[in-house]
Amino acid sequence: MLDDADLARRLAELVVGFGANVQPGQVVAVTTAPGKEQVTRAVAKAAYERGARWVDVMSFDPWLKRARVELAPEDSLDFVPPWLVDRLEWLSRERGARISLSGPTALHALDGLDPARAGRDLLPYLPNTGAVVNRRTTNWCVAPAPSRGWAAAVYPEAAPDDAYERLWRAVEHICRLDADDPEQAWRERTAAVTVAAEWLDACRFDAIHLHGPGTDLTVGLLPSSTWHAGGSETAAGIPFFSNIPSEETFTGPDPRRAEGVVTATRPLHLHGSLIDGIRVEFRDGRAVRVDADRGADALRAAAAKDDGASRLGELALVDRAGRVGEQATVFHDTLLDENAASHVALGNAYLSSAADEDDKRLLNRSGIHVDFMIGSPELAVDGITRGGERVPVMRDGAWLLPDTISA
Amino acid sequence: MSAHADRARRLAELAVRFGANVQPAQVVAVTSYVGKEELTRAIARVAYEAGARWVDVVVMDDLVKRERLALAPEDSLEFVPPWMSERLRWLSDERAARITLSGPQAPGAFDDVDPARAGRDLLPWLPESSEVINARTTNWTIVPGPTVEWARAVYADAAPDEALDRLWAAVEHMCRLDADDPVAAWTERMDELAGAARRLTERRFDAIRLHGPGTDLTIGLLPSSEWQAADFERCDGLVHHPNLPTEEVFTTPDPQRADGVVTMTMPRELYGAIVDGIRIEFSGGRAVRIDAERGAETLRAAASKDDGASRLGELALVDGGGRIGPLETVFLDTLIDENAASHIALGSGLAMGLSDPADVERMATSEIHVDLMVGSPDVDVDGVTATGERVPVLRRGAWQV
Repeated sequence: MLDDADLARRLAELVVGFGANVQPGQVVAVTTAPGKEQVTRAVAKAAYERGARWVDVMSFDPWLKRARVELAPEDSLDFVPPWLVDRLEWLSRERGARISLSGPTALHALDGLDPARAGRDLLPYLPNTGAVVNRRTTNWCVAPAPSRGWAAAVYPEAAPDDAYERLWRAVEHICRLDADDPEQAWRERTAAVTVAAEWLDACRFDAIHLHGPGTDLTVGLLPSSTWHAGGSETAAGIPFFSNIPSEETFTGPDPRRAEGVVTATRPLHLHGSLIDGIRVEFRDGRAVRVDADRGADALRAAAAKDDGASRLGELALVDRAGRVGEQATVFHDTLLDENAASHVALGNAYLSSAADEDDKRLLNRSGIHVDFMIGSPELAVDGITRGGERVPVMRDGAWLLPDTISA
Repeated sequence: MSAHADRARRLAELAVRFGANVQPAQVVAVTSYVGKEELTRAIARVAYEAGARWVDVVVMDDLVKRERLALAPEDSLEFVPPWMSERLRWLSDERAARITLSGPQAPGAFDDVDPARAGRDLLPWLPESSEVINARTTNWTIVPGPTVEWARAVYADAAPDEALDRLWAAVEHMCRLDADDPVAAWTERMDELAGAARRLTERRFDAIRLHGPGTDLTIGLLPSSEWQAADFERCDGLVHHPNLPTEEVFTTPDPQRADGVVTMTMPRELYGAIVDGIRIEFSGGRAVRIDAERGAETLRAAASKDDGASRLGELALVDGGGRIGPLETVFLDTLIDENAASHIALGSGLAMGLSDPADVERMATSEIHVDLMVGSPDVDVDGVTATGERVPVLRRGAWQV
């Protein structure tokens, strides 16, 4: 028998206590959607129990977005209410905690609408989101919140109650809530991914070559591109875990150097539009051609948002020891799906992805950050050294660490 | 799509086109609650169809608020996030439309919360709310948003589906959505109310006396107190209807003159708690004693919020010709219940109820505005002239002026 109240409480305690690591006296912002009330309330309760001063909940309803994209005047679609931007600046000044609950509650809410119009409304992503993340003023966490709407999209063949229970069980497993001590389980998994990240840092590759079915892409790195895993820290030194789950190690590439073609291995759910069968061709770092079997216009609209929107801001590698990939399920949620497979992101880079100030300035800047998944067991990953030597990094989804290093 | 989608659509049409009277290219703010999604979405669609540039929805959740009231630090409970105030000022500067959905989301949610704590969190009401209302910069309306939890609290004996159907039917009736042309029906009723308001204003009473079981209260008026029906004009003349339904005529009294005792004729919900069996004693305009069978602490906390909170900011008369009183139902929603019976309000006055700026300076100002129902067919209403003469105003719910 599914005890979703208990699961919501355990998930909330992990997200609040370990993910965002809420501190006594903090303001805690929560971004949620209709259908996720149970987890939202559990998060509020857990946050207040840890001493939060105010839990600031903002709910975004995809059906309201549908009304806007369908009906609002053409010249109004890029409008972002100033108070939402100011609210995020306030959270930054206040050194607030931020928690976002992911998972589409109405996957098909924007079906049948013009994807180019849909791609112009990026809310709840804000023009200053990337800047605030890079300021490292807030301790934050994104975590999945199961809802019946989401469950129906992931398991369409199952009865509603069944689908909902399956989604909760999957999230319980993926978030390691089924471990005796979920926080400890995450520390151990992160330690393993960190070993790979440290090896990649030590290699100082000039580029990473990704090749597999439909993909042959070389992504240039900056001299001080740094690989990260799991844990982060605010500028003031509060440790936090920005994604639960997190199975990836990621870096910020050289936005001027990406050559070749990539084919996405999973569909992407972008601001309400479903984009499937993505193929992107890069020349001199820029996406010069964007195709998709479905929803190409939404991705093209996002990539045309600003100058950096057509360049890469992130390259992330995911090995098969993660718990998302083993589910062999498309969750239609970037947080989960990006941790199933290696991926690249168009748009803004995380400033912490490069060590040197000169390189930080070179990292990509944009008002968007769109991850799409390109990994699979068939995807081979090689590192290219400055001397042009090719070093195998990943085969069959497994890290090829030198024998002297053990994950 | 629910069984009530059509009702939601028609209520949305009334709220957007007649209530707020949304204009092309306006920003339209909507304050909603968890559970009212269907009506909220219908309002957004109708607003965009009416040419809205952006529909700015903020959704409150009383069950999140309950966690705050139960757990947040004592000294944090009056905190209002600055973005909420900035948003309201922005809406005011933008000359936006504002639509609020009423009706308790989770009746009884705060029953086990310390009422003194509950009374300190007034959200979504903001310290700036009265200021923006009085500046008349926004065209706004409040309409009821039926939900199953609310319906079950109103019709406790009915099954959930039946209760919701009955609540929707009641809302449909009181919002005159069952008329062939709801806007025409409202226009006719507003004309009647405006006529009553005009006649009351012409009498220039010095005071109004309420007299009935448990009530003998004389409320002083200001020299320029004007009686109004709830058809408002924005400062630039745009007409809007701030409450749907509305059956009242109201004015802004003298906050220094209220004497006697008043007994409420209906319970109400206040900050999530039920307040019932209220008896208030006034002396020199101030509520000097508040008793209640239930929720006294919640009301006392509200009345001690600031200096104006214990004084009267509104006096409203409701005649027996409205559609809510005859339903003889307590809806646990001030918007509806205050239109069932004559009422007074503790807290801030409405500047539009006064024609002389000098009187506006004298009216009650407060962070709160809490309506309390005091009328019934058994409560007589008299006007008291400057010479002390008593003139019948309402008898058995019928106008005498």
